[in-house]
Amino acid sequence: MKSLEKKKAVWGFIFVLPAILFFIIFNFYPMSYAFWFSFFKKNLISLRPPKFVGFQNYIYLFQSDSFWNSVKATGIFALGTFVPIVIFSLLFAVLISSRKRFQKFLQLAYYSPAVLSSVVAATIWFLMFQPYGLANQFLNFIFNTNNIDYKWLSNEKMLILATIIVYFWKYVGYYTIIFIAGIASIPKSVHEAAIIDGANKWQDFWYITLPLLKPTTLLVSVMSMIQTLRTFSTQYFFVQSGAPIKPIEVITLNIYNTAIRDMRIGRASAMSIILLLIIMFFTFIQFKISKSDEISY
Amino acid sequence: MKKFLLILMLVFFTFLVYAAQIELVFWTHEDPNRTPLEEKYIQEFEKMYPNVKITRVTYPSKKISEVILTAFAASKGPDIFNMEIQNEYPYIVNGRVAPIDLEALDLKSFEELKKEYVEGALDPVTYDGEIYGLPLELTNWAVFVNKKYFREVGLDPDKDYPKTWEEMMEVSEKLVIRDGEILKRRGFDFRYPYYLTFFLPMVEQLGGKLISDDKKTAIVNDDAWLKVLKYMKEWGPNGKNLGSPTYTNARKLFNKDNNTVTMCLSGLYQIDRIRADNPEFYESGEWMIIPFPVFEDAVNDVRCNYYGHYYMVNAQSSKEKQYWAWKFISFMLSHPEDYLLNVGLVQPKISLINSEVFKNYPYADVFIKDMEKSHSVPLLINGPQFNQLIREAVESVMLTDTTPEEALKILKEKANELLKEEW
Repeated sequence: MKSLEKKKAVWGFIFVLPAILFFIIFNFYPMSYAFWFSFFKKNLISLRPPKFVGFQNYIYLFQSDSFWNSVKATGIFALGTFVPIVIFSLLFAVLISSRKRFQKFLQLAYYSPAVLSSVVAATIWFLMFQPYGLANQFLNFIFNTNNIDYKWLSNEKMLILATIIVYFWKYVGYYTIIFIAGIASIPKSVHEAAIIDGANKWQDFWYITLPLLKPTTLLVSVMSMIQTLRTFSTQYFFVQSGAPIKPIEVITLNIYNTAIRDMRIGRASAMSIILLLIIMFFTFIQFKISKSDEISY
Repeated sequence: MKKFLLILMLVFFTFLVYAAQIELVFWTHEDPNRTPLEEKYIQEFEKMYPNVKITRVTYPSKKISEVILTAFAASKGPDIFNMEIQNEYPYIVNGRVAPIDLEALDLKSFEELKKEYVEGALDPVTYDGEIYGLPLELTNWAVFVNKKYFREVGLDPDKDYPKTWEEMMEVSEKLVIRDGEILKRRGFDFRYPYYLTFFLPMVEQLGGKLISDDKKTAIVNDDAWLKVLKYMKEWGPNGKNLGSPTYTNARKLFNKDNNTVTMCLSGLYQIDRIRADNPEFYESGEWMIIPFPVFEDAVNDVRCNYYGHYYMVNAQSSKEKQYWAWKFISFMLSHPEDYLLNVGLVQPKISLINSEVFKNYPYADVFIKDMEKSHSVPLLINGPQFNQLIREAVESVMLTDTTPEEALKILKEKANELLKEEW
């Protein structure tokens, strides 16, 4: 019996070996290298060997206004994006799941922006946020105003909102699909039992669907939180196209600028390690919460 | 046996041919008028030297510095490349580019090379007694004007064109067309984000400097910097809304002659781009070029900074490749009149500047007169970072609630920190 288990374990290991190797080469090695480099001072184009500076890069970052501005910009963006994403993707999922016709079409329609390249999405939206673009026309129509420029790209708050809208539009469909899968995994018998007991549709949703979707909701909220912490493309494109950097200089953009523009690869590595720790913190929470909320039927 | 020997010899000779083949990779920025010209030179060069194969790859102007930096960081840089000199300078200082191979150019000394160029043209690429690049172009910007729109608002383009920055704002206000708050036509707009090129001279006109003469202080003369920052704030969407870094490039719209832009900043090469993009507008004679304006109370008559694009060779390429790379660059650049007539690029060669072709080139005199009053963009090891800091300051006053005083304070702190940083 034991030898059979041993055999199974060996084969299991053989099957996961490619994935482990892939992870070591393309994830673990760069991460370790970045960690190692974060203790050095190195100009990206210099041929001189890197200079060991200990924790100096980390100390510099924690004393840097620019870094804390990036933490703030990332926090505002993450909070401003993941809350509406969780709420609306859940609503869209319930709406789609409750429909008898066009379910597949709606899933496809909601999901399609997620397939689009981030730069293409940012380009499309950047044009829409221009003074003569659709965003101003829409607001002028809603508020019944005459050609007011709502300054989507030249007002700090509107600029942050603009980046949130782009991200929300691109990824809400992706999380909707996850919720749809979660809703589909709830056995029909549970709903039927509730309806036999006299529950209406609202009560069925509130007392049956929502509690049973808790693990999916947690998964979506933590996943979207982690993804929003890693946001880059929209902010990068907007800044490249002339938008002011300070309100939307998220940590990833700061890492990029520090490495590529300022050529300070050690400092950029230290920043990426701090971002990794923040992400790991949220992942840890995800594991903790999802374990305590496992549901079995 | 005979067959076997024949195959063996064939394999051996094929190996020899491939071993002798020199493959050069050449990265440059996109320029639709330059591409056919340089592709032609590549073909001619490959015909002259069949052992050399050259692959030319283009990247957008805004992206090329990042692409090259990433490639060099990974020691995978191209054999030949060019960027604006302020971006190339750190490569010289850090030993990433090879000095010119005089043998490839059939020259005996660098002095002999210098004699071919106008005085000072090779100074930006001269370091520790050696020369590291050959100029593709030396460019300054002047103001392109659409005369039709001037007349439309009752202005005479030949008399009423803006000579000062104050007049530029005044004239632009007359030229703009608005639909409610939405700007439909701009009078003039700047060439964002090249702040070391156009913004710094505006500061210098008022007596300001980027770096003090003793090189110990950055951002000299607060009043000058403040005045220009205030000007930009007034120019931007939160001021008089005459232009913005977020609006479409003025020089791209200018060529279309579609009632969206009246004036823009650009180099001599823009003329050929107008011809390529909109031949009807080019032939109409409805455009002209005027000098870079100065402030009314300017203390220095400084015009738009000039910059150069220099062809350089990767120091990590083999010596043989370096030789052929310089030979090819020299071959390409031995056609300065073609570059002027087809692309509008001015190589600072004495033979070209003195030629009738150059003297008769439309508006060349405007650019040359401005260039006489201007100087090169500052060459600093961390030049791109200084440009970025100025960009942050200007764009924060134009596009956010930041006051010019706050922006200047941040700029001074960061610029001085950058200046003191050692590498």
